[in-house]
Amino acid sequence: MIRIGNASGFYGDRLSAMREQLEGGHLDVLTGDYLAELTMLILGRDRMKDSSLGYAKTFLRQMEDCLALALDKGVKIVTNAGGLNPEGLARKLDAKVGYVTGDDLKGRFPEALTANAYLGAWEIAECLNQGAQVVVTGRVTDASLVVGPAAAHFGWARTDWDRLAGATVAGHVLECGTQATGGNYSFFTEIDATRPGFPIAEIDEDGSCLITKHDGTGGAVTTDTVTAQLLYEIGAPEYLGPDVTTHFDTIRLEEHQRGVRISGTRGSLPPDTLKVCLNTLGGFRNATTFVLTGLDVDAKAELVKRQLHDAIGDEGLTWTLARTDQSDADTEEQASALLHVTIKTADPRRAKGFSRAAIELALASYPGFHVTAPPGDGTPFGVYRAAYVNRDEVSAKAVLL
Amino acid sequence: MKRPLGTIAGARSGDKGGDANLGVWVRTEQAYEWLNGFLTTEKLKELLPEAREVSRYELPNLKALNFVLHGLLGDGVAGSTRFDPQAKALGEWLRSREVEIPEELL
Repeated sequence: MIRIGNASGFYGDRLSAMREQLEGGHLDVLTGDYLAELTMLILGRDRMKDSSLGYAKTFLRQMEDCLALALDKGVKIVTNAGGLNPEGLARKLDAKVGYVTGDDLKGRFPEALTANAYLGAWEIAECLNQGAQVVVTGRVTDASLVVGPAAAHFGWARTDWDRLAGATVAGHVLECGTQATGGNYSFFTEIDATRPGFPIAEIDEDGSCLITKHDGTGGAVTTDTVTAQLLYEIGAPEYLGPDVTTHFDTIRLEEHQRGVRISGTRGSLPPDTLKVCLNTLGGFRNATTFVLTGLDVDAKAELVKRQLHDAIGDEGLTWTLARTDQSDADTEEQASALLHVTIKTADPRRAKGFSRAAIELALASYPGFHVTAPPGDGTPFGVYRAAYVNRDEVSAKAVLL
Repeated sequence: MKRPLGTIAGARSGDKGGDANLGVWVRTEQAYEWLNGFLTTEKLKELLPEAREVSRYELPNLKALNFVLHGLLGDGVAGSTRFDPQAKALGEWLRSREVEIPEELL
């Protein structure tokens, strides 16, 4: 059995989670996921400003605090915090570090701000087999952070489909941190959801696992909390990954004294192509929210719309009127509706001009005019799309420093 | 009996680019049998009128259904002008919709 924990479900997750996981009990490996589609865009913009950046800076802070503790306890760290610059992050760590490279496909998609193939588990496994104490990757599938260490530990073959699928399920449960242990959980009133502990998977040689968490931590691990996370961000029951296709309709869950047992998962051949996460700059956006209180809400909305269109034209504007107002309300807030307006435009000056036009209405519009927060200068926004490339167009590599 | 769906069903939702996914699960075999018959694609669109093209998948082993709401989020989280651009609360919206639930399941 190998005991793998998770200490991060996104870039910005609980900073103290790494220490909590290291101090809370025994682990063999501690993983952390820092990369969502949106994060790649944020890191892409970091990298535009400073080419030595492009990784998750909070992970580095966690390492400054916890690397010595992890090394002392013999816990290996596996993370995708490398983002767009795994080597840059790896070189900042004082340990035997391996990194995974080859996901960056900007050469193939020059129009994109970021273009990264979702790599799999085998380069992570190779780093660990070569003795890495810390493994830093860029874009790998979230589940690979768990599959890699399990595959290395048990010496699985690349065609051990059921084992790889079982570990993929463990990885999917862990990848969003406390979403497996009672965070964001529909039946939260039935548990103590104040401060859920981070999840742990105890994976067996056959790929089955026990989902659990350290004793004394908050939240809960039940078939319901695990089911909730299994359903997160999935599509068809055939869950496609770079190393295996995992059949979510074969998963069996069973309550256990210390959590939930997961078994029965079947795997099959992965697709011939790898998925690529592409972010392009879509233009500039800005937004504001007008508060419409009391009588004539529809007419008030019509007036301010007409005025803003008159000032800057209606191109790229999207309006939504949320009728949160109640008639004859006892509080001012309950008497108010919210009129949201967003502008998306290729022209940064137009995004900025939107603010001025909205604020110039302040004494010249509907009675009771105010906004929830004044609009700023506008910000660039990204457009995400997925692409697919043949495997032989991607050369993933494990490098040991 | 007319009750919120969330009285007996849990849900979790999220984003994949411009698509949203919405998983719904119940806690007994009997409830799943009802849910599977009741929550068709058409019914989901009726309960969530903002949904357009919808794919539906059955996961009887998890007593769950998974829906993919295509195109709900436009250009994805960074570009979407939607109120909840990552569809985080789509599931809780569905759970709040009042539907006819057989009394023996309550």
